[in-house]
Amino acid sequence: MRRFLHAQGASRGLALGRARVRHSQVFDVAIESISASAIEGEIERLHLAFDVARSELMDMRQKLQGVLAHELGEFLDLHNLILDDPELLHGLDDLIRKANYSADYALRLQRDRLASIFDGIDDPYMRSRREDLDHVIGRVHAALHRNPGSDVIGLAGDVLVADAIAPSELAQLTERGVVAVITSQGSALSHSAILARSLHLPLVVGAHEAHMKIADGDALLVDGASGEIIIEPDAEDLRQFKRMQRETARERKALQRLRDAETITLDGTTIRLFANAESREDVAQAYELGASGVGLYRTEFLFLQGREPPDEEQQFLAYRDLVMGMRGRPVTLRTLDLGADKADSAGICVQGEPNPALGVRGIRLSLAQPGLFRAQMRALLRASAYGKMNILVPMVSCREEVLAVRQLMSHCRDELHAENHAIAKQVNLGIMIEVPAAALALPQLAYDSDFLSVGTNDLVQYLLAMDRGNEALASANSPLHPAVLRVLLDILKFGRKRGIPVAICGEMAGDPLFTRLLLGLGLREFSLHPSNLLELRRRIREVNLVDCQRLCRRLLRARDRSQLEALIHQGNHG
Amino acid sequence: MVAWSSTVLERNVTVINRLGLHARASSKLVQLLSSYRAQAFLAARGREVNAKSIMGVMLLAAAQGSTLTLRIDGEDELAAMDAAVALFERYFDEGG
Repeated sequence: MRRFLHAQGASRGLALGRARVRHSQVFDVAIESISASAIEGEIERLHLAFDVARSELMDMRQKLQGVLAHELGEFLDLHNLILDDPELLHGLDDLIRKANYSADYALRLQRDRLASIFDGIDDPYMRSRREDLDHVIGRVHAALHRNPGSDVIGLAGDVLVADAIAPSELAQLTERGVVAVITSQGSALSHSAILARSLHLPLVVGAHEAHMKIADGDALLVDGASGEIIIEPDAEDLRQFKRMQRETARERKALQRLRDAETITLDGTTIRLFANAESREDVAQAYELGASGVGLYRTEFLFLQGREPPDEEQQFLAYRDLVMGMRGRPVTLRTLDLGADKADSAGICVQGEPNPALGVRGIRLSLAQPGLFRAQMRALLRASAYGKMNILVPMVSCREEVLAVRQLMSHCRDELHAENHAIAKQVNLGIMIEVPAAALALPQLAYDSDFLSVGTNDLVQYLLAMDRGNEALASANSPLHPAVLRVLLDILKFGRKRGIPVAICGEMAGDPLFTRLLLGLGLREFSLHPSNLLELRRRIREVNLVDCQRLCRRLLRARDRSQLEALIHQGNHG
Repeated sequence: MVAWSSTVLERNVTVINRLGLHARASSKLVQLLSSYRAQAFLAARGREVNAKSIMGVMLLAAAQGSTLTLRIDGEDELAAMDAAVALFERYFDEGG
């Protein structure tokens, strides 16, 4: 019979598949005793399950690459330590040996005992480590019941229904061909949700009734955008699904045709779309999609991979690859943008800062570490000989910083010339506008800058005094604030008047919701993740600049966020 | 050279890193102590846990500024104590 379930969409996409409900039974395993003669065998079965879980984690760890390796590696290391925890293991053996419980029931008792201690902790961060415990116990429990050919993770065509999903599992899921995931807990802000979006795996979270309403083998229709789930869809649902699927496919094809199209508005203004890139794959994708260049390459990822900061030679090779990868299209590399709040395996950041968001970060950190900065500058200048390069400086708040960079640049240039290295004649130097002081002192700062790049994520955080990572402020922490629009308008006006190119490289630039607003404000250079590039191009080709400017004037007159939101949604549908 | 004493080695350590004994710092401490043969215990607010148990250490939920008692007992207790105290003093290598 057809049933409905409504929850929260966390990663968009439509999927039709077979429900595979995952063992939340570990948490309600019934009491189960075994005979005295079975004790040693039961303990061995349990230890074997731990071994299986351990080797699964090891496998996953080895498959991780690039940025994922860094972020997920830490989760996996923690899970490994939990698996090896002497208290956990010893307690379990005792429960089987002394109380004659089955391995399953012992696992459940141990999990309940530890979970209740975690639940009693005041610190919400530590309390949420309970999820890690659950993932580990879940993995061991699954290993206890592993039959060949079936798996907790799901098979091709499955929709996985689980309490929660670990970020480390997601890559494996898509590899297996799982078409969507539904979790009874979780939020759209979680690490897993972010990862699901980048993997294009539809995800619905917070489906509290999922385990009550969905049974193994049910046919499910999942809409990861709206959070709608239809259980056992009827003929009409399926027809509609087919129609939407065809539409999506058509849309994707239409987008593909846009690869070679110009980015131009209906009334004939050319817009330049640049790519934000972190890896060589991003750069290759950007080139293929016809990006005007790379608008933001974050060099810090090079620094986050090892225990030691990369030396000049390593950096030179990486930057050169990047510049050559764009075959003559301009590439803007941002100098090291680290702060104590970012994972810092190389130990570069200042220790013990009470407030890292306002601390020694970005250019402040680079200037505080002259040896490190000099190596980066030399590597950048050496790579400039292989294409067209711009250098971008993050977190600038005063003119002295720009002058110090200029000075270092010319010093390194002289050094490299003397050493017989080739350097491009012209390497432009630009600054990030993300500190309100920089936005307000543009005439003074821009005097020494060749171009400006607005980092809206940080600019919004600092203008509104709202921590980007604070979930409680997530809904208010948006560029839709009169102060933000005013500042953006002023920056763009200034750039036009002085003939200084201005790009926006924050999330806002890649979000189609803001495209008309930004065009209306006067933006002509967008820098965004390559995955949104074609969609943005299509959007720009469908609008008249005059309409965008009209919408923009109305937005600038709006008094508050709700008015802004109403107008911007109207403007995008009308 | 004196062999290890039969008494337990005991030191007070203060958590000075900003995030306290959260998951990453706890992991480092447990990994470090597990590489020694000596037994290790960590006590705070009247609770003592096995310092080689990741969950034990995390469950202490020791925030920045709290003082813990580290007890180590075994043949390599001196080296283990030195290494553990140094880890606390280095902010667990995480920049505060």
